[in-house]
Amino acid sequence: MHNHHTDWHIWSGCAILTLLIFRLLWGVVGSSTARFTNFVRGPRAIGDYLRGRWTGIGHNPLGALSVIALFLALSVQVGLGLVAEDEDGLYTGPLYRLVSIDTSDKARDLHELWFNVILGLVALHVVAIVFYRLRGKHLTKPMITGRAHLEPGMEPMRVGKWWIALICLATGIGITRWIIAGAPPFSS
Amino acid sequence: MRNVPIVIASVVALTAITTAATAKVSGPQAAQVMHQRHEGMESIGKAFKALRREFDSSSPFDPTVRSSAAQIAGLARKSSGWFPAGTGPEAGKTGAKPEIWKTPQDFAAKLSAFQKASLVFNAAAASGDINAAKARYADLGGTCKACHDKYRAEMHH
Repeated sequence: MHNHHTDWHIWSGCAILTLLIFRLLWGVVGSSTARFTNFVRGPRAIGDYLRGRWTGIGHNPLGALSVIALFLALSVQVGLGLVAEDEDGLYTGPLYRLVSIDTSDKARDLHELWFNVILGLVALHVVAIVFYRLRGKHLTKPMITGRAHLEPGMEPMRVGKWWIALICLATGIGITRWIIAGAPPFSS
Repeated sequence: MRNVPIVIASVVALTAITTAATAKVSGPQAAQVMHQRHEGMESIGKAFKALRREFDSSSPFDPTVRSSAAQIAGLARKSSGWFPAGTGPEAGKTGAKPEIWKTPQDFAAKLSAFQKASLVFNAAAASGDINAAKARYADLGGTCKACHDKYRAEMHH
């Protein structure tokens, strides 16, 4: 890692950690379409979706897999980064003390390799958006605005409360700060 | 600061070594130097990492700090002979950038700063004053980084 931006690298990792914690909490207490229990479905629902027998708003059953895959892939990446240390021993993730030098070195190598998995998922994600767009379906616009076309009989999204979002974000920032501090009292 | 005379003497000796090792090498000799350099740098890195864990623990263990500091100072001394002309990327796989031999004076100054910092750190570690050792350890890391930022390329194994 000799690109002279290791401090930025570590800070962006911490920002991603905050977002992951936020998304996890928002997936439990957030808007109806964001809740894991509402959009994560089993193989049968995915089969129905592929045969065109699914109606609804938010993530479709197949897209749910993508959400889960991205969430897990980023969590693995952040977890590896937290305990990693660079080859020269000049930079360390905030939790490097929890593991041995060898483990830190291995975590760094895996962190580097795992990035390719994330690149693959990102590519798949963009291709999917373009694919749906060519077939006339906007995925990004409803995601950003919260507005989608509703067929008769479809249940609209129940919008999450702004102050709950704020609490989720504050919790994410709080936990991240605690980790940056080395997760006292576990790491000495 | 009973170690000050030793530090000064060592720094004088080092300056002589640094200016001496400039003859160009090639073939098996170059390969041998590059191997020594790689092993040496790796050992310095391992000792440096062990020290960080030691200093960050609630009770740094004195003997470990001393031996690692002495090991780094010893290897730093040898590092004067690790960068003869002819041991850049043209000679094989290495993390040493060609810039080392394009701006030799700047490189020598940075290498020398590292060697001096390693001696000062070793003296602080030998004194048993953990806080002084920590501060000199941070200085030493600064000299590693100053050189690596400019002259070290990523090397995939």
